[in-house]
Amino acid sequence: MADLLSVSINFETSHLLFPKLIGAILLLLGAAILVTHRRAIMNSGAMWSRILADMDKPRFFGTLILTVIYFLLMVPVGDRWPNTGLGFLICSIPFVAAISILYMHDRSPRSLIPVLIVAVAAPTLVWWLFTYVFALTLP
Amino acid sequence: MFEFITPMYVFLIFAGTLVGIIFGAIPGMTATMAVAVCLPLTYSLGLDNGLALLLGLYVGGISGGLVPAILLGIPGTPSSITTCFDGYPMAQRGEGEKGLRIGIVASLVGGLISLAALYFFAPALAEFAIKFSYVEKFLIILFALTVMAALSEDMLMGIFSGFLGIFVSLIGVYDVTNGGNGQFRLIPPGTEYWLEGGFSLLPVLIGLFGLATILEAAEAGMPKGQSLKDIKVGEHSRFRWSVFKGQVGNLVRSSGIGTFVGILPGVGGSAASILAYTAAKTASKDPDSFGKGNPAGVIASESGNNGLTGGAMVPLLSLGIPGDATTALLIGAFTLQGIQVGPLFIGNNPGTWDSIIIAMLLANIAMFGIMYFAIRWLAMVVAIPKHILFPVILMMCVIGAYTINYGIMFDVWTLLIFGVFGWLAGKIGIEIAPFIIGFILGPSAEIYFVKSLESFGTLSVFFTKSWIAVLLWVLIAGSIAGSVMLARRKSLMKGAQG
Repeated sequence: MADLLSVSINFETSHLLFPKLIGAILLLLGAAILVTHRRAIMNSGAMWSRILADMDKPRFFGTLILTVIYFLLMVPVGDRWPNTGLGFLICSIPFVAAISILYMHDRSPRSLIPVLIVAVAAPTLVWWLFTYVFALTLP
Repeated sequence: MFEFITPMYVFLIFAGTLVGIIFGAIPGMTATMAVAVCLPLTYSLGLDNGLALLLGLYVGGISGGLVPAILLGIPGTPSSITTCFDGYPMAQRGEGEKGLRIGIVASLVGGLISLAALYFFAPALAEFAIKFSYVEKFLIILFALTVMAALSEDMLMGIFSGFLGIFVSLIGVYDVTNGGNGQFRLIPPGTEYWLEGGFSLLPVLIGLFGLATILEAAEAGMPKGQSLKDIKVGEHSRFRWSVFKGQVGNLVRSSGIGTFVGILPGVGGSAASILAYTAAKTASKDPDSFGKGNPAGVIASESGNNGLTGGAMVPLLSLGIPGDATTALLIGAFTLQGIQVGPLFIGNNPGTWDSIIIAMLLANIAMFGIMYFAIRWLAMVVAIPKHILFPVILMMCVIGAYTINYGIMFDVWTLLIFGVFGWLAGKIGIEIAPFIIGFILGPSAEIYFVKSLESFGTLSVFFTKSWIAVLLWVLIAGSIAGSVMLARRKSLMKGAQG
């Protein structure tokens, strides 16, 4: 029994020991989930089509697409004015405005006013706070 | 002795509590989100002031949930689900303000009792845990994971989520500073540059609790907020302290349950309030009145969920294991300041320990003061439109992720990756709380496990090292057996209902 439990660890490969063990446990648990939840897994196609059908696609995918565009633009824009955080500020104002308009239900000109004020004021305040008060780097 | 108490410290506690209450009061926004979004503000504040802000947010966030729970029947945070059961019927019969004040007083009592438990229990537990070797430390983590799994919706998925968290945390270099060999693992070819240090903790947390919540709301079409017309505070009900007559037992029991649930790792406020509510109903002479506007229900639920706050800090400060999702974020705040929480924390940082206790005390008092006297204005917070709030929160999430490591864009992409993962996880049954705890504790678990084996050369050491190891195995087996029994009882009840 003592021999069965004894383990010798080679330092050179010790980085793989724990990931392999956790990986093996995950595989076992995954197999157990496959067996115990097989009905739900078999119906997962129907579940996803229901999720997609019920989903507000413009708002969900719009959030993802705008976020990716925002992330992609921030650094190149910021590189034009290095170490000023202007990349963040210039990209955040249209991003906050666009996401707000995307999430609005009533897009009348009157209800757009507070949205646009927040879209300009919030990024500007945050940019000023982080750049000048906290002296932290922004893109 | 208390030189950390400066006007700034007090202001940050007050401001944090107020902002936390606002986050808690807006359905769909939680205390965890409040802490995640405001973490970047602490980068330049220093530890005491940073923690003052975050603890205010935590206490305020947990407490604010009662506002919409009572006025609209919608829990502001998951921890106030049971507050709806009796609070909303009270509001419907014109006793909204009375219900709110009952909830606020109960929250204060719950917060203070749990704070006392934290003050007395955490140092004792830490002192005991100092004697732990790597073997016991590893078993404590295993115990934390099994407890979380036992209290998950689905035990198997709970365990899987915890181990998945550990697996993801192992991505990157096997850290030399902790005795590793500096080799890469689990990194897809070509991504070594970005993943050398693995995924940073805070962008992961901000993604899971900030972006994922917004994606869920976007998926649901960003439901319209309540209009001010829907909010009826109630003109005809006056709060009287006599309502607490005969409720001392309920208050102490519920706060105790909340504190105990808080101490259990990874178990959130909803479990605390549900257990406290159920216990109050069972102990009541008139259980049928629960769910129909019985103030005892509001008292149980609110003292239970606020009891969680001090309780959840116990394992965090004495063992380095977060008691719930929000305290997991606090680990991030400690890491930011270069402080490691664990058994040595309280002894080595007595000033910070005092500052935490005072901050929690003042946050509870601030919470009571703000909510009790400004309740009519706070009720209006519920109506703040999400189309204005969520984009600003998204922007704050980006700042938090970007500034954490002083300007690494990959951290911002990590935020997106884990935001989408958090949304997906909700669909496929992966539980976020065990995942997070696994992710936070994974690297420590690895060191404890591998170094124990390197030292002793046998797996038997995990069973024979000490009586504490044996006790921990008994607790691990007990939590698994308990969860199996709970699952069987659930399925039997389902069968009987079917």
